[in-house]
Amino acid sequence: MSQTGELIDLGSASSELLQSMGEVMEIGVLAVDRDLVIQGCNRWLATAMSALPGEVIGRSVTDVFPELANGPSEIAIRAALGGATVIWSHGFHGFLLQLPPPTGHAEYEFMQQSARIIPIQRAGRVEGVFLLIQDVTERVAREQALKQAVRAAEVASQAKSDFLASMSHELRTPLSAIVGYMDLLIGDMVGEVAPLQKSYLGRVSLAARHLVAIIEEILTFSRVEAGREPVYPEDVDIAALLRDAGDLLVPQALQKGITLGLLVPDEPLVMRTDPTKLRQIVINLMGNAIKFTDAGHVVVKMVRTTDRVVITVADTGPGIGLADTERIFEPFTQVDQSLKRTKGGTGLGLPVSRRLALLLQGELSVESSGDAGTTFVLSLPLVTHSPAA
Amino acid sequence: MNLKELDIDALTELFNIGLHRAAASLSELTSQRIIVDLPELWVCPLDQMHGRLTGVMGGELATVHQVFTGAMRGDAVLVLEYDNASRLAALMTKGGVAAAGRLDQSAREVLSEVGNIILGSCLSAFGDMLRVSVSFAVPRMHVESLDDLLQSLVVEDGELQIALLAATRFRLTDQEVGGHLIIGIGLASLEVIARSLEARELA
Repeated sequence: MSQTGELIDLGSASSELLQSMGEVMEIGVLAVDRDLVIQGCNRWLATAMSALPGEVIGRSVTDVFPELANGPSEIAIRAALGGATVIWSHGFHGFLLQLPPPTGHAEYEFMQQSARIIPIQRAGRVEGVFLLIQDVTERVAREQALKQAVRAAEVASQAKSDFLASMSHELRTPLSAIVGYMDLLIGDMVGEVAPLQKSYLGRVSLAARHLVAIIEEILTFSRVEAGREPVYPEDVDIAALLRDAGDLLVPQALQKGITLGLLVPDEPLVMRTDPTKLRQIVINLMGNAIKFTDAGHVVVKMVRTTDRVVITVADTGPGIGLADTERIFEPFTQVDQSLKRTKGGTGLGLPVSRRLALLLQGELSVESSGDAGTTFVLSLPLVTHSPAA
Repeated sequence: MNLKELDIDALTELFNIGLHRAAASLSELTSQRIIVDLPELWVCPLDQMHGRLTGVMGGELATVHQVFTGAMRGDAVLVLEYDNASRLAALMTKGGVAAAGRLDQSAREVLSEVGNIILGSCLSAFGDMLRVSVSFAVPRMHVESLDDLLQSLVVEDGELQIALLAATRFRLTDQEVGGHLIIGIGLASLEVIARSLEARELA
């Protein structure tokens, strides 16, 4: 077959034009004939070589650039002499010619390059090739810096999660001991305790349990963030799970003088999901709703569609402004910072709940008019597949 | 000519020879075993390509165009969906480029080189086997939509335009990346191919 390359005439006019374009566009141009003898070299390239064009013209390209001999670069030049256009990308090769790095880039041994090797054809015959060389050192350094920054951020994020996990673990262990021994004292199991002392011990125990709950939240959050929270799907009666959660939170609602209503069917509804995570989400949403509602009611409703279960938790609390409806799912965020003092909490409850909902292949969103209550909507598939499936 | 008369099996064989050569070059270039195969090939009028490709590919596409001239004239394009293109560039350079999934300049250059090798090998296989002359322009890499891609195909005017569409599959390091090759040609070039295929069979 006769396969030929890009039609470029080696005639002096077009050769000069290419050389001038090389100067304007700051690329190196080297013309090499069939015997690999350099026939042309533009000023840009000569400057990069710290030479004058006249010093290299007439010499063999493998003499001026010994690294080309017998390597992939010489093969590429010979392929171009055979008629093929060669693209020499930095990503695969780094550089074509061993040229000194540009000023300010001593971190590289050689100038980083991308190149094109184009056959020069005259009267249907390949007379030689043009090597067009572009200095990409600056760009490559920028890309490398960006890549390193992304990697460093990933490492930092991982380190943060590891730190949180290990710190939380270290805190939880002594707290469990405090709670355990406190229960022994309160239960008169190591001798009788005076009523006033028992009341104080009760407060200490309550505070310690609260701390344990916060630490559990932080632990779950750091595990989810680090991608280390496994999902164990099993058949769960969601109606029963919601009723149990309601029973657990009724005392809290009664204490605040608000009503907790459950609109859940009596008959069982079995879905395949991770019950521990679902329970954590539901208790969190209901607990939050009770915490932020000072008068009125909290209503939990469950609706089944063809392939999903939608659980809504609606309250008559102060509501959330439209601008904050996404911010509340950001970690360590409470819409009104003053609430943190009066209502307590880490600001991790909702972020953890949303991340757990995503782990269960569902969604958690919020609807609020800003002044008349808030409704959280948890939508889950009837079947959550385990990640390995 | 009637498209049904075209020997699709012989055409598939030509593509396979080209892709086999390309895979050998890419394996050498990347120092890892790369297989490129062709699960399917279609030939249809260019104006039916949109309907055929909608649903198969979408969003931003990374394309490498190579215009060719000679006894066969047209535009050959390697098409990869954006995510596949960045995955392929990252796999071939062992994470050297496009590691964060973005087709930065270095990743685009890598794809240009890969596209040049694939398209050059396929067009050369056509030229060699059919004993016709083919000249190539320098390939161009773009990120474009399917509409833009089909509008930008450089095919001779004034005659029915035909597309040879080949689904391709790159296999390397236990992973697979799917793509497509589109060769847009005029009816006259298709007749050159058909005649050459017939002559080969007779010989």
